[in-house]
Amino acid sequence: MLRASTEVSGAAFDLNAVTGAATGDGDIEGGTLLHAFAEAVTLRDAARTAEIRDALVVALGEAAMIDAAATAAAFHGFVRLADATGTPPAGAAGGQVTMEFRESLGINAFYGARNG
Amino acid sequence: MSRIAYEGPYRVRDTLIEAHRLAWRRIAEPGAWLDGERRVAVAAEVRAAQDCALCHERKESLSPFAVKGEHAPAGPLSATEVELVHRLTTDSGRLTRTWAEGVLAAGVSEEIYIEIVSIVCIAMVIDTFRRSLDLAPFDLPAPVAGAPSGYRAPGAARHDAWISLVQPEDAVESDGDLYRGAASPVLKALSLVPQAKRDYWDLAEVHYLPGSEMTNFATDVRAIDRMQIELVAGRVSALHQCVY
Repeated sequence: MLRASTEVSGAAFDLNAVTGAATGDGDIEGGTLLHAFAEAVTLRDAARTAEIRDALVVALGEAAMIDAAATAAAFHGFVRLADATGTPPAGAAGGQVTMEFRESLGINAFYGARNG
Repeated sequence: MSRIAYEGPYRVRDTLIEAHRLAWRRIAEPGAWLDGERRVAVAAEVRAAQDCALCHERKESLSPFAVKGEHAPAGPLSATEVELVHRLTTDSGRLTRTWAEGVLAAGVSEEIYIEIVSIVCIAMVIDTFRRSLDLAPFDLPAPVAGAPSGYRAPGAARHDAWISLVQPEDAVESDGDLYRGAASPVLKALSLVPQAKRDYWDLAEVHYLPGSEMTNFATDVRAIDRMQIELVAGRVSALHQCVY
């Protein structure tokens, strides 16, 4: 989905950032902060979450921070739904995610890809 | 009934507050396969899992299957149901088909499995959102008396997932509003129990994107654009080691 949205907008962004293998905003406004916020929330780091939350409000506004929080929370559900039901990844993102693309991002090294 | 309100320093959009109220009310009500007491007990186990010593030890282990022991349960669920809730809550990226088959073989029906998954996901979404704003979790709701409906989608069958699901062409009128257009694999995942699917997606679409916007990569329905949304989504998914 990130790849598709950057392609539609014509933006440049290193997709390896999602696995932590790249850094920087690229053409995504507030990209580094959003990345750090997602990480802090997922790792349950309260102090870091508070720090980034305040920075997000300053940089992008309160409504943007709320929607970043809403998205991060939503994916705490989506990942569990997919993982618990053995949802096949082949149809993810409208079937646009090829094995080569998954390999390039390191997703095929995840435990579930090797043992699921 | 617990009070669902946002009084913190940030203005939370009204659609989120309404979705949280609806989700919390539904957790308390009888579902398709679990009564209100057991549904609320699932939500309680989601929270108990965060402090479960066995879950912590497994999370730190190279293989979660190498660590034996018993969870620290919070309520009336069976040991296998507690295993389902705790593992899904704390280590979802390392669930396997063999593990899921073991849960079913131990006596948890597919229908109850799906209803529990739905409640875990709902509780995780709402508790995580509250935590991300440094707000205390909502009090759990008081269970509402009544019997579960016992509805299983008649068109459900095993396909390429671990649990039976309904393909769009196999949905029937009694399933209710099951699909509103194209059905991605993740959209079909809970379809065995249509109410469990609706309960989860009614919340998820308000947090993420409405179904009508899922394939609109230039959508502007949120205060962050689609690239910003997907960056957050991608990072959360990767940290969970989610292969979907």
